[in-house]
Amino acid sequence: MLQNEHLQFIANAKRRMFMLVGFKGILFVLLGMRLFYLQMMKGGAYRDLAENNRISLQPEPALRGRIFGRNGEILVENSPNYCLEVIPELSGGLERLLYRLQPYLDLTQEDLEIVLKRARSQRSFLPLNVQSHLSWEEMSGIEARIHTFPGTELRIHPLRYYPYGEFATHFLGYLGDVSESERKMSKNHHYRSGDLIGKAGVEKSAESRLRGKEGVREMEVNAFGRQVRQLSFDPPQPGEDIHLTLDVDLQMEAERMMVGKNGSIVAMDPSNGEVLAMVSQPSYDPNIFIRGMTNRQWRELIVNPKMPLTNKSVQGQYPPGSTFKMAVALAGLAGGHITPNDQFYCPGYLTRQEHRFYCWKFRGHGSLDLKQALAQSCDVFFYKLAEKVGIDAIEHYGRGFGFGEISGIALPGERAGLMPSRSWKLARYRKPWYPGETLITAIGQGYMLATPLQLANMIATIANGGTLYRPVIERQNKPQLFHSKHKLNLRPEHLAYVREGLEEVVKGRLGTAKKVQPENLRVAGKTGTSQVVRHRRNVGGKVIQTDNESYKDHALFVAYAPTENPKIALSVVVEHGGSGSSSAAPIAMGILERYFEQKSDQNKT
Amino acid sequence: MQRGRSGFLGIDASDSLSLQERLERFPWGLIILLTITVLFGLVILYSAVGGQENLHFIYKQLGRFLTGMVLMFVIALMCEEKLFRHQAYLVYAIILLLLILVAVFGSVGMGARRWLDLGVMRIQPSELMKVGVILALARFYHDRAVDPHLGFRQLAGLILLILTPLGLIVKQPDLGTAVLIASVVCVIIFVAGLSWKTLIFAILIFGASLPVVWNSLHDYQRQRVETLFFPERDPLGSGYHIIQSTIAVGSGGMTGKGFLAGSQSHLDFLPERHTDFIFSVLAEEWGFLGGMVILLLYGLIILRGMMIAISAGDRFGFLLAAGVTALFTFQVVINIGMVIGLLPVVGIPLPLISYGGSSMVTILAAMGLLAHVAIYSKYHGRAVRSI
Repeated sequence: MLQNEHLQFIANAKRRMFMLVGFKGILFVLLGMRLFYLQMMKGGAYRDLAENNRISLQPEPALRGRIFGRNGEILVENSPNYCLEVIPELSGGLERLLYRLQPYLDLTQEDLEIVLKRARSQRSFLPLNVQSHLSWEEMSGIEARIHTFPGTELRIHPLRYYPYGEFATHFLGYLGDVSESERKMSKNHHYRSGDLIGKAGVEKSAESRLRGKEGVREMEVNAFGRQVRQLSFDPPQPGEDIHLTLDVDLQMEAERMMVGKNGSIVAMDPSNGEVLAMVSQPSYDPNIFIRGMTNRQWRELIVNPKMPLTNKSVQGQYPPGSTFKMAVALAGLAGGHITPNDQFYCPGYLTRQEHRFYCWKFRGHGSLDLKQALAQSCDVFFYKLAEKVGIDAIEHYGRGFGFGEISGIALPGERAGLMPSRSWKLARYRKPWYPGETLITAIGQGYMLATPLQLANMIATIANGGTLYRPVIERQNKPQLFHSKHKLNLRPEHLAYVREGLEEVVKGRLGTAKKVQPENLRVAGKTGTSQVVRHRRNVGGKVIQTDNESYKDHALFVAYAPTENPKIALSVVVEHGGSGSSSAAPIAMGILERYFEQKSDQNKT
Repeated sequence: MQRGRSGFLGIDASDSLSLQERLERFPWGLIILLTITVLFGLVILYSAVGGQENLHFIYKQLGRFLTGMVLMFVIALMCEEKLFRHQAYLVYAIILLLLILVAVFGSVGMGARRWLDLGVMRIQPSELMKVGVILALARFYHDRAVDPHLGFRQLAGLILLILTPLGLIVKQPDLGTAVLIASVVCVIIFVAGLSWKTLIFAILIFGASLPVVWNSLHDYQRQRVETLFFPERDPLGSGYHIIQSTIAVGSGGMTGKGFLAGSQSHLDFLPERHTDFIFSVLAEEWGFLGGMVILLLYGLIILRGMMIAISAGDRFGFLLAAGVTALFTFQVVINIGMVIGLLPVVGIPLPLISYGGSSMVTILAAMGLLAHVAIYSKYHGRAVRSI
């Protein structure tokens, strides 16, 4: 019985052991199948995943292109930014090392604590930036003892540098952190957050050429991101250098003359449309954008009513005032509405439909011809001429000189100004054009707006014999024409006549700019005074001068020199400067005089 | 050749064999398989710890292997036949005491209280308990060989025997070891002859209790189970281990990336790669073929263990060998299963290969018990007759 039961147990145990073998066999087969699936069937996919794990692509920034002036002066370059970096895991006690470094650096206790805080948030084998922008003294002080500071390294990062500081600022522009919208807009250029991008001026407009092509370093990294070795390296392609047409001497002179004023100067070579100088005031030092500015500095730039961040040369829009009269004069001559022999009488005002249109000269100019009217800037004369010419022809000639259209200059944010017309007014105000509006348009007031660049281009066109060029900022093989739909059809004798009138402005007995005529230089020009607000007049019709700075007229002057063979055409706009003859013309004259003096000095030596 | 009383299968077994005889009966094949596996493991470990620079890991592991081998030979050869059967409860009681000490004084590592510092060395009593439970259960069923029907008192004793250490281990918490021990207990009860009726009933009870167990789990334990099924939910957190080790295994392909050439292993993407996750280093560098070789080695060891169980000299030996083999099997399956994403990540080392002293010494000691059973088996020197 007992034996029997015992044998039964043995048989049962054996049976169960075999079942167990089967069970364990199934478990092993499951393991094997899973391995087969992972390694034999999905092996390739997992191999790719492992490679992705292993390889990290590291961008190697390209050196940004430099920007040169007309004669090879370096206007924007990359300066070395000496940084002190410490690899915490090699430092043998980061805190102790930092305290030892402190005497050689410009670090406060708070700075140190910030560095230590940053150290805690990053891997200890990654370099930790302790201080950037080391001075020469700091750097040499540390370099001499570098071997006593374990894990310490002096590294050089390229830093955008504007050697002239606050110079041609709006023209050259500056760099800043790329914004989210900029990143989205430039898909093929592949910006990452934290990258720098041109924010203004040439830095912005030539961004794609200046930037170059980023290199890629293929690094093998471990799970913590530590670099193990380099697998491949596609070197960066440095950005293109840009050679501007900017004449550094002229720009400096122009900036010097604008110190303390608000407004713009644009100087061009009339023979090809090259921009020689471009000033916008007030200005700022672009280097503060690179090295970082305080919140206060930034707010001051942003909220300043004088708008230092705006490039007024291409973004500022002003009524051209009397400078526009030369275009009206040419329109009159071309249309046969007036000849050099015709005269008009100016009593100081013109009455039309019970409205009195005043001349700037309250007592009137008396009888004068077109040349004298230009020289003395008689408003009544041009009212009368405008009535004959009509708004359509004025618009045609205005557009023919480039008004109301962007010039296409390679600078960001250019504005078109405004050349009013019948159709424009109907579309804008749903009202017909009134005859009186023709009159004030003829003297560059009313709706009309122009940028200083457009003014310079107009006078350049007069200076070069009637060719409207597209303003350029880089040397071209061949000057580019401004293809306006409104072709100027200027006869040489008409142009010569108007140019005589513009010469009279400066040298004539009654010329509006005769007080500032330079001694050894023949200059032709035209003053302009554009109203900011409607003038208040007393009962007799005399203008009451305002004390409010921001209500004062803008002062304008456009000029070219020398008259026989123009080398420079320029426009000067002084915001709230008063009259063109008293405040803008002297600036232009000063610039021209000094410029040609320097040129002749340079030629002598 | 008449010796004392009749053996487990009614065949005479030796009461006292000479050392010569014991050496002759010693399962040398098993020892050779173990040694090959351990040596292969050392090669993998060499790669897992980063080669030349960390050679001390290899020496330390080799030292543990030798210590374990000595212990194994002492257990297999130097102990008389009935020693373990007689002292089974004592061994169990000592280990249980250690477990209680851990619960009270143990040192905490990774959020669990598992280690006991004995001054000279740190041990993990839960590792020892794997063997302790096997010994106790084998003894329990051996004593009930005459009357297999359990009364209430005996059943209560059995349950207490099992649940006391399990409870302590779950509380550490070390769910992996608890599940492992529970699986081994099931196998022993199964081969000890539990009736099918009870067995099915127990399975149903177990199934019904799963939700209760689920609710009593620690958050991190629950997370591990969830992570198994949805590792991509948290690729840098709890899913990281499974994802990275699956990538390592899969990227090994058929022949592997070559010795010391596993990028996942050598670039630190694999966590715990010299301990619990060492199989993924093997699979990455030696590929499917390497994995098959290891599975084959383990399979042979397990088969040999089960053969020893079947030919055991008595019921205690049978259950002891079956238990030790089951322990070994489950450790292999759970470890590899978790590394290749079939089972949740629980801290079960890969026998004979994972770096770690307690595991290596415990496994080899258990193998010593297996060899001990083999030495006193019924077949040796006789024709196979009656099975």
